[in-house]
Parts: sequence; C-alpha cells; structure tokens
Amino acid sequence: MRVSPSALLRVGLLLLVAVVLQLSSLSQIGIAGGHADLVVLVVAAVAYYAGSVSGCAAGFAAGFLLDLASGATMGASSLVLTAVGYGVGRFREVRDPSHGLMPIPVGAAATAGWVVAFAAVSFMLDVGARVSPLVLRDMVVTVLLNALLSLPVFAGCRRLLRPVLRVDRLEARRRGRPATREAGPIGLRGMEV
Amino acid sequence: MYDRKAVRRRRAALAVFVALSIAILTAYFGESGGGFFHALQRGAQEVFAPIESGASRALKPARDFFGWAGDTIDAKDQNEALREEVERLRSELADLQTRRRDTRQVNGLVGLHSQDGFPRGTRPVTARVIARSPSVWYSSLKIDKGSSDGVKLNQAVIAAASDPSSDRAVGGLAGKVTRVTGGTAEVTLLTDASSGVAAQVMPAGAAGVVKPEVGNPRDLLLDFVEGGRRVTEGTIVVTSGFKASRVESLFPRGIPIGEVTKVDLDEVELYQRVHIRPFADFRRIDIVQVLTRRPPGTETAGVLLP
Repeated sequence: MRVSPSALLRVGLLLLVAVVLQLSSLSQIGIAGGHADLVVLVVAAVAYYAGSVSGCAAGFAAGFLLDLASGATMGASSLVLTAVGYGVGRFREVRDPSHGLMPIPVGAAATAGWVVAFAAVSFMLDVGARVSPLVLRDMVVTVLLNALLSLPVFAGCRRLLRPVLRVDRLEARRRGRPATREAGPIGLRGMEV
Repeated sequence: MYDRKAVRRRRAALAVFVALSIAILTAYFGESGGGFFHALQRGAQEVFAPIESGASRALKPARDFFGWAGDTIDAKDQNEALREEVERLRSELADLQTRRRDTRQVNGLVGLHSQDGFPRGTRPVTARVIARSPSVWYSSLKIDKGSSDGVKLNQAVIAAASDPSSDRAVGGLAGKVTRVTGGTAEVTLLTDASSGVAAQVMPAGAAGVVKPEVGNPRDLLLDFVEGGRRVTEGTIVVTSGFKASRVESLFPRGIPIGEVTKVDLDEVELYQRVHIRPFADFRRIDIVQVLTRRPPGTETAGVLLP
C-alpha cells in the first residue's frame, strides 16, 4: 500500500468505524455467550490486502484506539494486534493464497490468535481473579462468529482500500495478469517476472 | 531479487510498533491515575462518548434484532433445561403430596382412636389401598392386608377424613371386610348399594340405618329414624353397635360415621330421613385401618344388618 494521505485516511476511517461499531454494538450482541470482534477482522483484512508493514501499523493503531476508547490497559491491544497484523500480512506475502474463500480461515486464525494472545497478556498483566472455563467457550464462539463475518468484512475492506493498494492481487489475477511480487526472504519467491 | 531493504523495513516496522506498545504498556502501568496516558484515555473517551452514543442509538434496531435472535437461541436451551426441571419438580411434588396425604390420613386415623367414645381395644391393622372398583354401583376397595395379618370377614374398616387437620372429625367408618385372602382383603364401602349400618344420632340417641345414596359419596342417608325423635343439623352419627338376644351389629358401638346436614321430615311418613356427610373421604382413600378385634365384652354372636 502506498503511504499517502488518502491511504491513511481510509485506513484510519476503517479502524475508527470498526472500533466504534465494536464498542457500541457488536460487544453488546451476545450470541451463545460470545460476540463477534470486528476490530481484529479489519486489522487482518488490511494486513491481508496491504501487507505486513501496513498490517502491523494498522494493528497498532487499532489497538491504540480500542484501548483509548474502551478504557482498557493501554498498550495491551496494540501489542497483540500488531502481532496479528504482521502475521496475517506475512502469511499473504509468503504464501500468496489465491482461493476466494481464504478470508474465512485467515479471519478465524487471526481471531484465534487475538483472543488467545490477548487473554495471555491480560492474564499476565492484571488479572488476579480466578478464570472461569467458560472463557474458552466464549473464545471459540468469537472465532466461529468471526469466521462467518470474514467474507463480507474482507470484501468491504478490499473495496475501500483498492484505490490505495499498490497491487490488487485479486484484481490482477482476475484480469489474467500476474501480480508484481515483492521480494521475500525465501529467495525463490519475490523474484519479479 | 531478495529485497533486503523491504525485509529491513518490515522488521523495523514490527520492532517499532511492538516496542511502542510495550513502552505504552509500561508507562501506563507505571504512571498514576493522573498521568499522561490516563488523561489521554479520559479525553479520548469524552470524544468517543457522543460518537458511541449516536452509533449505539442508530444501531439499536440491529442490536435488538440480533439480541432477539440470541435470546431465542438461549431461550430454547433454557426451555429445555426448565422443562426437565419442571418434570423433576413435578415428580417430587407428586411424591411429597402423596406422602403428605398419607401422613394426614394416618394422623387422622390415630386421632380417631383417641376420640372420646371410640371403641377401645380394637387392635387396628393399617393397610394401604391397592385397588378400587371402577363402578359407582359397587363401591369396594382392595387392601394390602389379609388373613395373615389378622384380617377377617365382616371386620369394620375406618378411614381418615379428607383434611383431618381442619375437620372437626378426623375420620370415620368406611365399610367392612367382605372378602379375605392371605395377603389382601376386599372392603365394601358404606357407599356400596348393598351397604347398611345400624347407627345412632348423638347425643339425642335417635337410631336408624345408614344407607348410601348411590353416585354421591358425600351424602349418606340415615333412614328409619322415628318421626318423634328430634334430630338437628350438625349432630354426629355413630355406629350404634346394638345387641339383641340373638343378633348383634357387625360394627362396635361408637365409631363416627358422619355429620347430619339435613333432615327431611315428611308428616305423612312414619320415619324421618336424615342426610349425613360422611367423615371418611370415600373419593380419596389411600390408607385404612381394619379393626381386627371387637372391644372386650362385645363378642359377635351373629350377623345382622342393621
């Protein structure tokens, strides 16, 4: 993704909307004990389409916003979402998956990583009370709900980010043109054709 | 080409953001409630509050819809659980009510024995009703005590009132034993069409024969009461246990039967007809007592009804 005011505005707007929606609505809609988590999906989508650098930047910003707005421990969400954004971005850069349903496992894996890592960070930081086993159930429900939401959320993010993406791989593939690949650490990949 | 610059940039970005996060985290924990990040958080929340409030209000219908869907799913689970609980509680309730009724009936029977005038030394055998006749024309019960328990033909059977704790009479005569096997016995109730019991209105002493009104277990008739004897409502009717030279009533004297509810006095008739509400609740008899011994000094010489 090209760093430009437009790109920053779009990603910033996306993250802001995601955080506001998350706090004002999605967190209040309990389904089978859990609830969907839009913020991690948006971070994963940004990382998936824009790469690992943009992903970890978006993760940091989303976490920062989330902690600011929710009053949670500052820095905890940023730390975990940075890692999630980086991981999803790297997955895309290294594997370059092409299947149209790939957002589902990516969204589910990102959510799983987010809930587990955030639980671990929270547990290490300031949770002194006993933790109920029901937390595990809520985590599983959140992962499943996010898996269901992945396709529309990723599609929406892609639509919003397309004008500022350096290369829209899906669009390039659809038109039959190979996408320009960035150099990667493996060597075989990243060679421009 | 392997783009070292891109790799470095990527790693540097990750390191910077992770370091920033940890720095914020550390600073947040290290500072007091009035520190920079806490103040920033408060300020941000003030800014976010109207946005969140507006979004919350705008999205309320959607939230309600999903909430309704979630509640419906939860309600289904709750419904299942509650159904099972209701089933269990209903079963427990039925069991407890049965025990309570049995206890009341046993208490009623015990109370009956301690009443003034009730025959002493009858050696009662308590039995549980195991079957009852389905027809109104033949009112009989089968009980779980028989000859091996000392039950014999024509012995008197008593039963408790419907609510011995509230009734002024705790029970009364229910019938007599008409068939006996080793472990069971058949009791023909006062409400059976063939039944008749020599009885007396207390304390006036007017004598008559108690006969059933078929189909109405809450009403017995005391017939053949002489017209000149004054019988008033609310008085008690007991077995007369009369004894003549050759015959004697099956039932010992003094067993309560019921309470006078109405007196039909027809001037043309020679006898009065007295309506009695029986003390024994014939509709719900679960436990009875067979009086297996006549009170001393009143050995049966014969059989007669009334």
